[in-house]
Amino acid sequence: MDIQALEEISLSLRRDVVEMVYRTKDGHPSPSFSVADIITSLYFEVMRLDPSNPDWEDRDRFVLSKGHSCPVLYAALAKKGFFPREELFSLRYLNSHLQGHPYAPKTKGLDATTGSLGNGVSIGLGMALAARIRKKAYQVYAITGDGELGEGMIWEAAMAASHHKASNLTVFIDNNNYQSGGTVGEISGPYPIEDKWKAFGWHVQTIDGHDIAQILKAVKNAHQVEDKPSAIVCKTIKGNGVSFMIGENSWHKRVYTEEEYKQAIKELGGAV
Amino acid sequence: MSTVDSTRIGFRDALLKLASEREDVVFVSTDSLKVVKGEPFLEQFPDRVVELGISEQNGVGVCSGLASSGLLPYICTYAGFLTMRACEQMRTFVSYPNLKVRFVGANGGLHGGNREGVSHQFIEDVGILRGMPNFTILCPADGGQVYEAMLASADIDGPVYIRIGSGREDKVFPDGTPFPLGKIRMLSDEGDDVALLAHGFVLGRVIEAAKRLKAEGIKAKVVEVATIKPLDKQGLIEVLHSTGCAVTVEDHTIINGLGSAVAEVIAENVPAHLIRLGLQDVYGESGFPEELLDAYGMRIEDIVAAAKTAVAHKKQ
Repeated sequence: MDIQALEEISLSLRRDVVEMVYRTKDGHPSPSFSVADIITSLYFEVMRLDPSNPDWEDRDRFVLSKGHSCPVLYAALAKKGFFPREELFSLRYLNSHLQGHPYAPKTKGLDATTGSLGNGVSIGLGMALAARIRKKAYQVYAITGDGELGEGMIWEAAMAASHHKASNLTVFIDNNNYQSGGTVGEISGPYPIEDKWKAFGWHVQTIDGHDIAQILKAVKNAHQVEDKPSAIVCKTIKGNGVSFMIGENSWHKRVYTEEEYKQAIKELGGAV
Repeated sequence: MSTVDSTRIGFRDALLKLASEREDVVFVSTDSLKVVKGEPFLEQFPDRVVELGISEQNGVGVCSGLASSGLLPYICTYAGFLTMRACEQMRTFVSYPNLKVRFVGANGGLHGGNREGVSHQFIEDVGILRGMPNFTILCPADGGQVYEAMLASADIDGPVYIRIGSGREDKVFPDGTPFPLGKIRMLSDEGDDVALLAHGFVLGRVIEAAKRLKAEGIKAKVVEVATIKPLDKQGLIEVLHSTGCAVTVEDHTIINGLGSAVAEVIAENVPAHLIRLGLQDVYGESGFPEELLDAYGMRIEDIVAAAKTAVAHKKQ
């Protein structure tokens, strides 16, 4: 798929998120937007998947460690054909298979249950080591937040993954510079992010997390590394693509008014 | 099989057997391989040991990933480092998605932790897990029973917790005795005066207490409750219905463990006077295993006295 087509998919996934949050009156919009281009690249170009066989043993795996960004992941799964798009609008309602945070047994195409921060790298490492033990060739991808780097378990997993030379594990760090309560600089101080992952023995790249060509190139680079897991630090923008969401952290979890909904859809290239 | 002379060896030998029979078994170690004398496992199945170093939360997270990718991980380390330090990982990433991960918790109870002191004596593990849906919780009484419980539980859907000790347990059952998965087990039945309900490393004391009670004319049933969850409620109701009173004995806090589970059965199903022996909402301390059980209210004399009190209360 060419870059332009992928960019259009990323826009459509974000429009789906806007509509999900508007219609269901819940969910995390701006944390979904900062990872939209990474998820688009993975699901529509990189990962080997078979929507008609969601449990295919040789499929690549994805772990959304920052589980609150799941609206955009659900939108991607629907667009891939794992379930009908209309079901997106059951998000967070009773009897929906789309839980407020990802629950793998209920949602087709979802590989990991997440939500509580700090756990996804360990889960991804388990999947990556299982590939080695079972002599499978699949790759494992995970996305963590930057605020999430405050969880000690991330670093337990980082140490173990490099010790095991888990080169089939690639972790994207969604460096949107915000966490729930403010900027990461104010609240938790994860910088310098790259030096920490390097010190833990990882192959580290820093890219623009909204440049799909850069994302695809970084993944290709990560695949070339034979003896280390890879960290890709993605410089991202929380709320990317919608002017009034950028720099306004209340969109971490906020519901659109009708006017905001219409404007957001329009800015993302859609029609209401 | 040679004599299974401790719960830790029971775990290790069963794991060796399981791994030789099926390819999905892996041992996840958080620098805990040596604790269970697991070197033979490492020698025979080097590719099926996942050593993660001292990182229990990471260890349980890795187990979640392994189990969701078609493997059957056994993670064994000290009971509290699993059930307390990695409590949330056990809940949200294993129990909630109902993954087949096997947790083997060492140093269960005062007996298990003995001279190590409170940081390594786990008297809350069963109670913590009892509140988690999907879990099967097993408390075998000796090394041979751990071996059998491991084999009996290998195919259970969802997570399983097996409580083991320090390796200093007395034998209660001859090796090869089947583990009564999911069922209570009547060990002796002298009559309907009182039921003595117990599991784990105090079982030998309870059997001895029943003999002393018999000598004094009190007819007890000794019932092992080695599967705490799912609890054999029907079996317990029948026993409690016939005796009308009971004493629970557990090397665990009396809050949320066996005593609480039996109290729930009584409250909802069958009136019976109950006395709960075990840790009375206190921590332990360092000491020799049997000495600790004595010091914290689990002497044979304590069990006998509690049984008499229960019987007397019933007659009032």
